[in-house]
Amino acid sequence: MIARLRIDQAPILVLLLICTLWLLIPFTMAVLWSLVDPSGTWTPDTLLPPVISLYRWEFMWNNSLLQPALLNSYTLAPTAAVVTLLLAMPTAYALGRYDFPGKETVKLIALLPLVVPTFVTAIFFSSILFQMGLAQYRFFAILLAHAVLFLPFAIRILTVSFEQVRQDHVDAARDLGASPLERFRVAYWPALKPGIMATLLIVFIQSIEEFAIAYIVGTPDFTTVPTLLYSQLGQDFNRSNAAVLALILAVPNVILMLILERFLKSANPALSSGKG
Amino acid sequence: MTLGRAAYILMLLSPGIGLIVVFIGAVVYIAVAQSFGYYNLIGESGFSWSFWIEGIDRKSYLRAVRYSLYVGLTSAFLSVALAYPLALWLRKPFPGSMTISAILKAPLLVHGIVAAFLFLNVISYHGILNQMMVWLGIFDEPRRLQNDEHAIGLIFLQVWKNMPFALLLLTGAVQAISDDVLNAAQDLGAGAWQRFLTVIAPLTVSAMQASLIIIFIGALADFTFQTTIGPTNERSLAQYMTFMKDRGRWNDAAVVGVTLMALSLAGSVLLAVVSRLAFRGRRK
Repeated sequence: MIARLRIDQAPILVLLLICTLWLLIPFTMAVLWSLVDPSGTWTPDTLLPPVISLYRWEFMWNNSLLQPALLNSYTLAPTAAVVTLLLAMPTAYALGRYDFPGKETVKLIALLPLVVPTFVTAIFFSSILFQMGLAQYRFFAILLAHAVLFLPFAIRILTVSFEQVRQDHVDAARDLGASPLERFRVAYWPALKPGIMATLLIVFIQSIEEFAIAYIVGTPDFTTVPTLLYSQLGQDFNRSNAAVLALILAVPNVILMLILERFLKSANPALSSGKG
Repeated sequence: MTLGRAAYILMLLSPGIGLIVVFIGAVVYIAVAQSFGYYNLIGESGFSWSFWIEGIDRKSYLRAVRYSLYVGLTSAFLSVALAYPLALWLRKPFPGSMTISAILKAPLLVHGIVAAFLFLNVISYHGILNQMMVWLGIFDEPRRLQNDEHAIGLIFLQVWKNMPFALLLLTGAVQAISDDVLNAAQDLGAGAWQRFLTVIAPLTVSAMQASLIIIFIGALADFTFQTTIGPTNERSLAQYMTFMKDRGRWNDAAVVGVTLMALSLAGSVLLAVVSRLAFRGRRK
């Protein structure tokens, strides 16, 4: 039995090791590249950069569009996450809890924003904006497009959550005289919570990462972190500058996710005990 | 169904589905119309089949279709196939399972372009992978690993980025299977593989479909990974479409765009139907 367990777990442990190394090594290299001082070239025969400084960081902070890009990205993403969640909830409730004719068709329609490539959506959406004379409202235009683009994720995930609400729990709560609010708390909320969390998490990440809409609709005066990084990876590719931007894009994302997850976890006991 | 109930369902569907229909409907309409010669930005507009006839006749078009399908399907199947055993392993909490889960889901937090940049650093000519291979004596000298022609690097990155997404969906679904069901199957003598086929897969088919479809469509329409780490001798459909648009050939770009939409839809329906049929018979 012990031998079998070890054989079973060996590939998974190897996979974990690879995953850990693939996170640690590239990020360490990115950190080192971002610290290379222009006065000393880092060659492959040396393990560490010869001269280390924060020159690149200061340079990027002061001489690129980094500051407005950060503000834009981190205002847009949480707003998009909340808006998308609110828009998706009623639809997911209908799909998860009711049987009605055409339900499968509705599920397919919900996937439409994914079928349309984001570059097509971006270009033709901006064309519509120009024709309607709304092109200057870039933030709201991108927010609307992000909400629509990420609705399929939210609807699919929340539909699965609503499907997993057990009818016997709902019935039991009702038979015991629970009010609609209490029924939601005891029967719906435990099944929905992971789905809501997953939705917020995924829409936030997708919105931060989204490139096509932000680039096409946002140009020229609405820069987000991905459009800035992408422009740096293009013609004037500089490994050190790109490393700074890559870390600025990746690290706060990780920290924000951890805060969000913690916040949601700590919110849970208060909500489930009804004392929040 | 009563009229009141129908109205109630429609009201529930309108903020989500209603918005999607209006928004995407407008975008798709203009894309399709342009592929038939309407809404031209320059010159006269009018119905024409010529953009389609010339478009699908190009070798580069067929090649892009084949290549994008290969990337999309391979990425989706590999991601889901890897995510299942991990989701089952993490079904019950055990010491260290939270950390393991966090490490596995970490790629969700790493931006696609960042992941591409990190990957380029690792596999570059003087990168750590080449250095290690030379040091281990597997390579005599550093090799050019960037933009490999079989798109192995690209699919590796697609799976690395998408597997956690499948894991997220599948973990929720396998956790919802009650122990009684799995224990009953085990007591009846079902082995691990049989339990997967007869119990786990049919009960999680909804999450499986969602994972397969979402990953397939993302990888099929990929632009960022392809333009940074993909093979230089191939063009993905999204890249091909942008190539056309950048040259002002909007109608040709629209033909590629409509193709991409059609392939996404057809592929999704196929994946949904195949996974449903494969496990429906075993449900009872």
